[in-house]
Amino acid sequence: MKYFFILLPLVAFIAAPAFAADEWGIDHEKAAQFTAKVVDLACALKGDCPANCGDGHRQLGLLTEDGKLRAAVKGNTDFAGAVHDLLPYCGKTIEVDGLLIENPAISIYMTQRIRETPDKPWIKTTAFLKDWTAKNGKPKQWFREDPLVKEVIGEDGVLGIKGLAPSAPK
Amino acid sequence: MIRHGFGWVVAALLNAAFVQSSFAQNPAPGARVQIKGELVDTWCSVTGIMFSAGTAHHQCAVWCAAGGIPVSIKTAAGEYYMVLRIGEDDNSVADKSFVKIQSHEVNVDGELIERDGVKYLFVSKVLDDEGVVDLTHEQNPISPFGE
Repeated sequence: MKYFFILLPLVAFIAAPAFAADEWGIDHEKAAQFTAKVVDLACALKGDCPANCGDGHRQLGLLTEDGKLRAAVKGNTDFAGAVHDLLPYCGKTIEVDGLLIENPAISIYMTQRIRETPDKPWIKTTAFLKDWTAKNGKPKQWFREDPLVKEVIGEDGVLGIKGLAPSAPK
Repeated sequence: MIRHGFGWVVAALLNAAFVQSSFAQNPAPGARVQIKGELVDTWCSVTGIMFSAGTAHHQCAVWCAAGGIPVSIKTAAGEYYMVLRIGEDDNSVADKSFVKIQSHEVNVDGELIERDGVKYLFVSKVLDDEGVVDLTHEQNPISPFGE
């Protein structure tokens, strides 16, 4: 019996797919793992192409082998996008794993993991937090400690209107 | 074997040509449009993972824009326009000009390019910026976390 409990997790691990996207239960979401070229969206759409996909100042996309352009809007750091994760691969073809949300109003992609080639390990898309920590120190919540957030909220307030403070909802 | 190898080469070349053609080098200009709506973060608003409109969600919208999540204009009809440029400013990732106008009600003039389910907007001019006008905090707690 004790072997059952020892072996069960191992069997489950072996039986599970190598990787599958973490589902969020969002309307229109589906797990989507595919190969794509990392591109600067403005470059792909308008032919306006600065070096290195804009060096982190431009939104990035994933151009699939069948010509679909996916807007990579989210990474795995809370409240952060995927630019820090994808920028090192600008112009390169990589494999991504995540959630494709094909909302009729807009189609977006959450990049959860990336790998350069099938023989390389998957990398979780947490580069934003790593880069933020290297620049600002280890945070409790980066989004409350970020200098730009503090500047903007300091100027306009939590509600975005100067002089208006939150109160208990009616 | 040789025929199969040749087939793969042809398929690869056709695929490369298709992808190349879908990567705009000299693209046709998009449509000229005027769009009115609220600036939102493209993650919370689209996914519906939390309440995400107006004053009650303003702080979170600032977090997301500062985190590099694209900013979109959401119209009253529920359409989204992902903003990739405002005037001469194409720093669309965590740039103060994009972060500071979160939750604002704006009317903009710009170029619209639609592709694969996304309406991309290159704003030429902000015609009107009313600031934050949707006072959702009167009916809702600060979203998320209540503070």
